[in-house]
Amino acid sequence: MNRPAAPSPELVLEWASTVQSTSDLILRRLTGDYHEDAWGFDEEFTETVFPVFEFLYSTWWRVQVEGAANVPGHGRVLLVANHSGTIFPFDGAMIATAIQKEHPLPRWVRAMVLNWAFDLPFVSYILRRLGGVAANPANLGRLLEEDQPVMVFPEGQKGFGKDFADRYRLQRFGRGGFIEVALEAGCPIVPVAVVGAEEIYPKLGESKPLARALGSPYVPITPTFPWLGPLGLLPLPSRWRIEFLEPIDLSAYGPGASEDRSLVFDLSEQVREQIQEALYRGLVKRGPAFL
Amino acid sequence: MSEKRIVIAGVSTRWGSELARTLQRRPGVGEIIGIDSTRPTADLGRTEFVEADIRNPVISRILPSLEPNVVVHCGIVWYPEKGRPSRALHDINVIGTLQLLAACEKTPGLEALIARGSAAIYGSAPGAPAFFTEDMARRFPLVTRFQRDIGELEGYFDNFARRRPEITCCMLRFQVEVGPGLDTPFNRYLNLPVVPTRMGFDPRLQLLHVDDATGALAAASLAPVRGAVNVAPDGAISLSRLLRLCGKTAVGVPPGLVGLINRRVGDFLGSADLYRDGELLLRYGRGCDNRRLREEIGYELAFDSEGTARDFARASHGVQALFPSPRPGSPVRSVPR
Repeated sequence: MNRPAAPSPELVLEWASTVQSTSDLILRRLTGDYHEDAWGFDEEFTETVFPVFEFLYSTWWRVQVEGAANVPGHGRVLLVANHSGTIFPFDGAMIATAIQKEHPLPRWVRAMVLNWAFDLPFVSYILRRLGGVAANPANLGRLLEEDQPVMVFPEGQKGFGKDFADRYRLQRFGRGGFIEVALEAGCPIVPVAVVGAEEIYPKLGESKPLARALGSPYVPITPTFPWLGPLGLLPLPSRWRIEFLEPIDLSAYGPGASEDRSLVFDLSEQVREQIQEALYRGLVKRGPAFL
Repeated sequence: MSEKRIVIAGVSTRWGSELARTLQRRPGVGEIIGIDSTRPTADLGRTEFVEADIRNPVISRILPSLEPNVVVHCGIVWYPEKGRPSRALHDINVIGTLQLLAACEKTPGLEALIARGSAAIYGSAPGAPAFFTEDMARRFPLVTRFQRDIGELEGYFDNFARRRPEITCCMLRFQVEVGPGLDTPFNRYLNLPVVPTRMGFDPRLQLLHVDDATGALAAASLAPVRGAVNVAPDGAISLSRLLRLCGKTAVGVPPGLVGLINRRVGDFLGSADLYRDGELLLRYGRGCDNRRLREEIGYELAFDSEGTARDFARASHGVQALFPSPRPGSPVRSVPR
């Protein structure tokens, strides 16, 4: 008689405690007995979905990270990154994941999100629970005052929705509002170059009628979307490389410096050039996009 | 210092009555006179009542004869009801305020004017600041009728403040109030057995506890500051979590049906006309900064948004909930801070 060996008591106990903690979590969620901060960030929710990001990070996109320690472990800091994604802002999610996994003192990074995302059903509150905040100077200034790490994508929609042919070409950096706020808050800026996110949804064009029908600001057309329906939302498994550059210290300029337009534009351009150079470097170091 | 004579306009509203009852227990408060067009139903103790309609120009003769040092305007109505459509609301809110300001102009010895306004002036928008500060009003176009009314009356109020710099004019912008026993459309909405929400949206709300609303109004009446002040709690809570704390079942309404359902629900709640404000609030939410209230007026809030939600849940639990929460013990805890 070859009966399967009974599981050891320790194993049974472990299972039982897993079942108990999971059902506890579900019950607490259902009765509203959890914590959200004043911005609507829900750390427990973020931790629960984190394994999905971890899978995308390690297995799907095989992200390599350089210079994670350049992000200060304490106090206010502004991460400035190139933007892409076409459909979902996975670049932001991967920057946050990189800090969770590679930084010695990981923190959850808040993201400044394009305003129209908060007008999209489901996306609006999922982003908020993950730490997304509507992008405006008031919100950015207040988050920095609270000594939070925040990431911004100054290219905004122009970067997010750019054509595949324009990949890794940084778009204009708006009016440099993020520099003004950073000068006022006296916080360091860490430029971040994300290589790989521009290949996950190669955008070939966009459909104006579909956008109008859906009430969405734009509807991209990629080789798989919308042809394959929901399956087309699956991002391509490109190889990623995220580089955190040396922090730029702005505290020496003093809070009055934010009024100086030319200084603001100079700094904005400086950050932009650093990211662009890092992108070219990163593209060479990464090698082929998918292999 | 002599005791202050305080006139409360709109004393028959819940807010006016509560304020009168709170103020008469405070030291340094002299005579309290309430004016309104209808008799108050609540017992006002030592507060004197004068029947007068602020929409009527006669108020310009009555108010100076009362010789007030402080006038508190509680007559701004937040939502239309059966028998009081939104046109009448405009009359009460805008014309009434204008008449009251004209009367204040003719009142010598007036030191302070406090108005109980609304944070609805900020509106609700997808890209809005998470915490509106007082200088951010009118950053977005005023879209609803109520919002425009509030905007108009704040305009008159500001003009008055500029013309009469010797009078401290304080405009209080109240966030959504919630509390046991409060009968407003929003509270009635939370007390529905099944609560319709907009599918795919989960607004971030700030819930001001009724006790804090009265406390802050009393504090501002006794120590007013110039300009607008947000009366908002600390923190915020999402609608979904609020409903879960209350043990309510939320039903997501798809976009095509939202208009219809909201009209029906609005009718049912007795607030059909204002539902546009409510609709936007229940889609995008709104948050306000309360540093001026805490630091300049010096009012200590007793509840944050979560504490208010838990207090409301405790009071409504078991009475209204059709589907009790799976663990009835948990929402009963109240967290007053």
